[in-house]
Formats: sequence, C-alpha cells, structure tokens
Amino acid sequence: MHDTDDMPPDVDYDEDEPSFSDPEDFVDDIEDEELLGDLLREKPQEADGIDSVIVVDNVPQVGPERLEKLKNVIHKIFSKFGKITNEFYPEGPDGSTKGYIFLEYGAPSQALEAVKNADGYKLDKQHTFRVNVFTDFDKYMNISDEWETPEKQPFKDFGNMRHWMEDSDCRDQYSVIYESGERTAIFNNDPKEPIVAEERARWTETYVRWSPKGTYLATFHQRGIALWGGEKFKQIQRFSHQGVSLIDFSPCERYVVTFSPLMDTKEDPQAIIIWDILTGQKKRGFHCESSAHWPIFKWSHDGKFFARMTQDTLSIYETPSMGLLDKKSLKISSIKDFSWSPGDNILAFWVPEDKDIPARVTLMQLPSRQEIRVRNLFNVVDCKLHWQRQGDYLCVKVDRTPKGTLGVVTNFEIFRMREKQVPVDVVEMKGDPESKNAESIIAFAWEPNGNKFAVLHGESPRINASFYHVKSNGKIELIKMFDKQQANSIFWSPQGQFMVLAGLRSMNGALAFVDTSDCTMMNIAEHYMASDVEWDPTGRYLVTSVSWWSHKVDNAYWLWTFQGRLLQKNNKDRFCQLLWRPRPPTLLSQEAIKTIKKDLKKYSKIFEQKDRLSQSKASKELVDKRRSMMEEYRQYREAVLHQYQDQKAARLELRGGVDTDELDSNTDDWEEETIEFFINEEIIPLGE
Amino acid sequence: MKPILLQGHERSITQIRYNREGDLLFTVAKDTVANVWYSVNGERLGTYNGHTGAVWCVDCDWDTKNVLTGSADNSCRLWDCETGKQLAMLNTSSAVRTCGFDFSGNIIMFSTDKQMGYQCFLNYFDLRDPQQIEDNQPYLTVPCSESKITSAVWGPLGEFVIAGHENGEINQFSAKTGEVLKKVKEHSKQINDIQSSVDLTMVITASKDCSSKLFDSTTLDHIKTFKTERPVNSAAISPIMDHVVMGGGQEAMEVTTTSTRIGKFEARFFHAAYEEEFGRVKGHFGPINCVAFHPDGKSYSSGGEDGYTRIHYFDPQYFDFELEA
Repeated sequence: MHDTDDMPPDVDYDEDEPSFSDPEDFVDDIEDEELLGDLLREKPQEADGIDSVIVVDNVPQVGPERLEKLKNVIHKIFSKFGKITNEFYPEGPDGSTKGYIFLEYGAPSQALEAVKNADGYKLDKQHTFRVNVFTDFDKYMNISDEWETPEKQPFKDFGNMRHWMEDSDCRDQYSVIYESGERTAIFNNDPKEPIVAEERARWTETYVRWSPKGTYLATFHQRGIALWGGEKFKQIQRFSHQGVSLIDFSPCERYVVTFSPLMDTKEDPQAIIIWDILTGQKKRGFHCESSAHWPIFKWSHDGKFFARMTQDTLSIYETPSMGLLDKKSLKISSIKDFSWSPGDNILAFWVPEDKDIPARVTLMQLPSRQEIRVRNLFNVVDCKLHWQRQGDYLCVKVDRTPKGTLGVVTNFEIFRMREKQVPVDVVEMKGDPESKNAESIIAFAWEPNGNKFAVLHGESPRINASFYHVKSNGKIELIKMFDKQQANSIFWSPQGQFMVLAGLRSMNGALAFVDTSDCTMMNIAEHYMASDVEWDPTGRYLVTSVSWWSHKVDNAYWLWTFQGRLLQKNNKDRFCQLLWRPRPPTLLSQEAIKTIKKDLKKYSKIFEQKDRLSQSKASKELVDKRRSMMEEYRQYREAVLHQYQDQKAARLELRGGVDTDELDSNTDDWEEETIEFFINEEIIPLGE
Repeated sequence: MKPILLQGHERSITQIRYNREGDLLFTVAKDTVANVWYSVNGERLGTYNGHTGAVWCVDCDWDTKNVLTGSADNSCRLWDCETGKQLAMLNTSSAVRTCGFDFSGNIIMFSTDKQMGYQCFLNYFDLRDPQQIEDNQPYLTVPCSESKITSAVWGPLGEFVIAGHENGEINQFSAKTGEVLKKVKEHSKQINDIQSSVDLTMVITASKDCSSKLFDSTTLDHIKTFKTERPVNSAAISPIMDHVVMGGGQEAMEVTTTSTRIGKFEARFFHAAYEEEFGRVKGHFGPINCVAFHPDGKSYSSGGEDGYTRIHYFDPQYFDFELEA
C-alpha cells in the first residue's frame, strides 16, 4: 500500500488560521437579499433527509408471523425506484401492523419517483396503495384554514399610454437600433427630418419589438423582457425569463409569450412562458421541443385562444384560464401546418396524403370544433396557408406533382370565407411555355383590406409580377402582369391599393412602386443593397434600409412617399433595425370614415396650407442657422487674422526678409517662363 | 473642365504636395520614385530616384530649393529640387511615415512607424548643422509609445509640430523641447491626414471615423466638423474660399463585394462655415488617398488608390456659387 506512505506528514492545524469572523466594528452593509436574492427567493431550508421518506397507505394489516412475507413483497415493489435505506412498519398493541408504512430512499428524487409510479398500485382487490411524500403532510398542515384576501396593489399611473396618437401633425413613430445595437432611439417621422422622441444607450441587448397595437415597446435582456410605454417611455412591466430570445404578443395586447432556450426543467416547464401584461404574472409555462418555427403558439385574432401543433396533435388553449379547450387536444394524425383566421375564430390546417387517403385542408370553427369546410387534394407535395388580413379569403398555395408530368405544378386554391359553404376556386399557375418545368413561385401576398393578390413567379432574370382580382361571383381575373421584374418580395401598403415590389439583398435593392387600381408603375427606384422594407401603419410612407446585420457598409434608412418619391436619406452608423410603431384600430365608425372621404377636399385645403407654412418656416430656419454659423466663423477668422498680422515680423525674420504672405508679394524675384501646351496633333500632307 | 491626368506611378498614390508658388506638384506613391510635375499643364519635370520601398510622404521648402521624402525603406532623404540630386540620407530603424520642412526651411521633422519592435519616434534635424546629418543624430527625438503618429504638419513659425495619431489624438510637440504643448482627442479613429491652411492658422484633419475637423493651429480649439459616411483619407482647405475638400473611401481590404459601386468616394466639397456639402467630383476608380488645393485656389489635385493623380481646374460657376444665407 503505497498510498498511505505517500501521505504528507501531519499538518499542524493549529497554525495561524485566518479568522473568518467579522471584526468588532464591522458594519454589514450588504443585505442577504442583495447578495443571494436569487437563492432566497426559492426559500431554501436545511435538508434533514425527511424529503426522501414516503408514506404508503392501504398496506395489508398482518400479524408478526406474516410480516416477513409482507416486507418481501413491499421490497419487491418499492426497490424499483431506488435503494430503500430505512423502513418502518408501525405495529398496533396486538402486534399486527397498522396498515401504513414508512420507507426511506437514498435521495429525494427516488422518493418522488416512487410517488409518481406506485401511487394507485393495486396489490390485490382490497388493497390499492396510496403513496405520498412525507414532507407533503407538513406542507398541507401548514396551510391556514382562513382565506386571506390578497392585498390590493396600488394603481400605478403611467400616464396616457397612447400619447403618441395625440400628435398634432399625426406623425407616426418608429424605433431605430444603431451603432450595432449600442443605441436605440424612437423618432417621430416627419417629411423634413426625423425628430427624436427618446434616445438611450444600451436600451436593449438584442433587438426590440412593438406590441401589436403599439402600446408597448419590448426590450430584450439576459434576464428577461422589459416593456416600456407612455409619454416618456417609462418601464411598465418586467418579465423575468433568463436567456429569453423570442417573444410574441397576443393580438389583444393582454398576454406575451416568451421563449428561452435555457432554464427548462422536467418538473417545472419554463422554456415558453405566457405572461399577463397588466399584472406581470406568469400565467403558464410550457416545455418546448424545438423552437424552429416561432411563434410556436399561434393566437386567434381576439386573443381568446391560442394553439400549438405537436406530433399528430393540435392543442388549443383558452384564455384567461390558459387551460386546454374542453380539456383535450385534437388528434390530427400527421398534421403539417395550421393557421388562425385573422378575422374570426376559425382555424385552417392541412394534412398530407397517406396511402389512399388524399391530402386535406380543413377549416374548423372554434370553440365548437365544427368543420366548416374540408377540401381534398391529390398528389400534394406541400401546402402554404395565406390568410387575407381581414379573414375574407384564404389562399392555399398547393404544390403538386400530377401523374404523367415531371416537376412541380403550383395551384392557388382560393377559399371565399364570407360566403355560404365557403366556395373554393382554383388559379393555376401556368408555366413558361418554353421550359418543361412549371414556374416557381417566389412570393405571394394578399392586398390587406381588399380582394386582390399579387404573385411573383418565374426564374431570375425572367421574373413576372402578376396581379389577380377575386370577383364577387368567384371569378378570379388576372388584371395585369409585369414581366422581367427585379423583385423577390411584395410589400402591400397597409391601406391596400399601393404596393412595392422589391428586389432585396442579392437583387441590389431594386424598388418598383405600383398603384394596383389601374396597375401603373408610379416610380422605379433603387436603394442599393437594401435588406428591409417597412410601410408606416398609415400607408403614407415607406422606409427601405440597409441593416448592419446583413451588410456592413452604407448602413442607412431612406424614407419614401407611397408614390416612390425619396424624402430622406438617413445615414446612421452601424444601423441595424427600424420598426414602425403600430397604431391601434381606428375608433371611427364606417360611416364616419365615409363622410371624411367625401369631404376630403375641405380637409386637404387645410393640410396644404399647413404644409406650405411649415416649408417656408423650414427654409427660414435654415437660413437663420447658416447666418449665425457664418457670423461665428467670420468672427473667429477675424481674430486669427489679427494675430497673424502681428506675427508678420517674425515671419519675415524666419524667411530672410522675404515677404511670402501673398502669392505675388515678391514679384521682383519672378522669372518668366514659357510653357507649351499640347493641344492636339494633326498631320497635314503638304501639297506639291 | 476636363481634368489633367498624371500617369507617373505604378502603385497607389500616398501623398501629393504643391510648392509655395503652386507651379510644381510633387507626388509620391507606393512605388519607389517621387515625381515632380508642372501643375499648369501636367508635364513631368523630373523624378527623384533612390528609394527602395514605398514612399509615404513628401514635402518641399518655401523657396523650392529642397525636397524631403520619407519611405518604407527606412530612410528619409533630402533632394535638390532642381537637379534631383540626393543631398542627404537619414537612416531609421523603421518606415518613415510623415516628414516636413518648418516655416524657415532650416529645420526638418519626420516620424517613424511603430514596427519590427521599434517604437514610433518624432525626429528633428537642423539642416544648418551639417554634423547632425553626417552623424544621423537629430538634435531632438521624441518617443511616442502610446499611439503612433499617422500624420503630421508643422505649426506656424516653426514652434511645434501638430501630429495626428492612430488612436485619434492630436498633439503639439515642441520643436525645442519635444514636450507635448497641447493635446486634444476629437476623433474616435486614426487620423489619416493633417493639412494646414495657407496662412497656417488652421489645420484640417481627415479621420477613419468618417469625418474631418477644423482646428485652430495654436490653441487646437475644435472649430468645425464635416461628416460623411466613408473613412476620410485626406482633406484640404481652400486658400481663397470658405471651402474644404475631402477625399476617402472604404479601405480595399474592407470592401467585401465585387461591385464597383461600393466603397467608392468622390471628392466632396463642403462649406467651411456651414459644414454643408455642396459639390462632388467623380473620377478615381477606388478610394482617393490625398487631396491638395493649388495655392491660388483655382484648381485642386487628387491622388488615388488607382495610381493616378488628377488636376482639376474649377469652372467659373464654382467661384460664383453661394449657398443661400
């Protein structure tokens, strides 16, 4: 045995051991809360081992002669969950057992496992085990019998949460992240130049998000999400979720869903948390297997329901209970995708072909779970669901491989939601007659509040933009096709009618502004290397931008009118992201909007006058600014030149008495020099 | 007017300089030859041959007798302007980045790069003392360990040198004691160029932080800022108008795309008082490395990464143009 021989000689432990106790005059200025607040919140208690103990009820009562046999049976059942380190079989005065026993495991986790699995175990007809953790008794004993009314929280007034809507010039706001994320600013959009509303350093650690109605600005931090709002962008709510990376608001702005790849534990699901924005309370946590497709939970338009899809199941939850609707999920074998109507509580989902059963697109009403329309499809490769923003139409883009043809054919199946029995019409995308393959679809988009849709199809550089119109009789008409477009994305104005076809990133930022009422190109422009396009919520302005996240030079955002007139070029150092602040839905009735449209002339006069006034004011301001700058500069130069004159003697001395202050101040020394200029050469043959 | 194209270098231009009268234009490049041209017609007058590495800097004294060049071949050389004869060669341990004659033409300064284990030095020689040249022993040498000098120019009356550093600092180094007289830091990145106004009362900087700034030479008070969205390589002050010209562009190694549209930079004209851009001149293929105004203010020249130098004469409208105020 070498080991013991190699042990170091006995250390003299009496040697000066540093004293760890505080000196007498020490004042502890750090509270425990500050030092280990995160631990204290979990209320740790000294472990005494009793949490490894379980209590088993309904054990057969036996006399001493059969105790050994019972112990064997019990052992057999309970040592599956871990090694039993201790056991106790209480006995009555007659020597027989009392019908309940205590078992101790090596670890609390084994005890929990035993409770989970052995509770309800049927030993025989008369004896069904009830298994509990011993500490649970303590826990439930300690609950007070009297219900305490929770203390009323004082109301926090954050001022007018829709302050920005009261802007006298109806300016919209947008958030800008720049300096590679170091700074975030909120601007009021103005045709002349952006006006800073708020600017902060390190406001967010990654990016920001506006809530759907524009009330809150969410910022991302290592420890969670913060919501800001009101006139001065004060902090309104905080949600602590370590490592949060994705969020999603419910359309009603009542809830927010956060996702973090860290933190998840088996007992306590924390990968996805749904929070109540008003109270800041955690409503429910969920596990998350994969975050590939965010949002995982999709909300119905009114925020009443939210749903998620997992293998062969569609789980629909309801608010505010956050429980499963009707306490059970929908079994839909091999469901591929689903989507809520943005206008009604209707869900669309599709399942692929399975041997002889065709692929299906189903529309389901909720909460009744009634199937209002089922459409069978054959030879389907893939489906994409596109809802029109008001839920009037659903377009299902179907990629098929019909028998006897090579390649993929794409159809658009248009569901007219507002009509009885939801009629479906089909638009076939005919391929390029020259090539055998059907055309590939690059982009599809509905007009947000109308009945038109736009499609980009073809192969670069032969990309076509087609506009279709869904008539009330169900006929779908091609209104216009522009060929040879440089575009890969479609951006409709939120008000409809106008749209921008953009060739982002690899297509160099080509922009085409289209009016779809008569299908004219209003303007063709370019924002070189543009990566993003954002319409303002009113459809008056458009921003194109080159984000530092995708491209490292020329980071800027440009402001355009909806007709494609360039208003501003805003260069920002390492500009990352611009997001318009959404507006809440209008409070005006349909009639009121109509009257306003009728009297537009009356209003436009007032606005035009206002515009002229502000323009003349702006040019006056500019001139005034220049004047004062010039005056300041002139004064500085005068002072300096005065000093310069005073130093003339010193200068003369340094240059041996030669005055060089002016270019021609010593013309006497000049020498004349002849310089030839080569103008042109001409060869002239000399005649005889 | 059509610019005059000077084709005398095989590599990118590093510095251009007019003499005091403006009849001559000196150009140096990353090749080894310094050129001198007639500024009026672009005819090459001659070359100064001898360097064996890229030439970083050039200067000419006030009476156009001597020319000074500094090179990456670890030497600073003095030439006879008229004959092109090499008068002196001062060997250093690392590349010479900046050089210049003082107001009197008697004292020269040059700075060396922090390189190959040597730190950056600012050296002063008095040409009136031949011993200093012979022994290669400057009368004053100032070590700059913190951040190397990337550009330098003499202050008025030869009292100090105004040096721009790699970290964006500007220092005044006394020509007598070597001590730092004034120090400012208005730029966040390297200062690529410093040039003085014709009367030496102001200097303009050109920085990698995409801006140029105007400073008072004596007090180093910051007066004006001119902003662009590209690194600025060089800037000059017009001798007759309240204008400045700036040249720059993305560094070749930082341009990742093959497109010629990215990273380019036209010569930009700003109003000195309003800090507003009012004109641009295209021409070079790639970034502009240096710009200089003719001392009469009627033309300017630019040297580019493309190896060409272009002399531009202003159109008459340039002199009439006024911003509304």
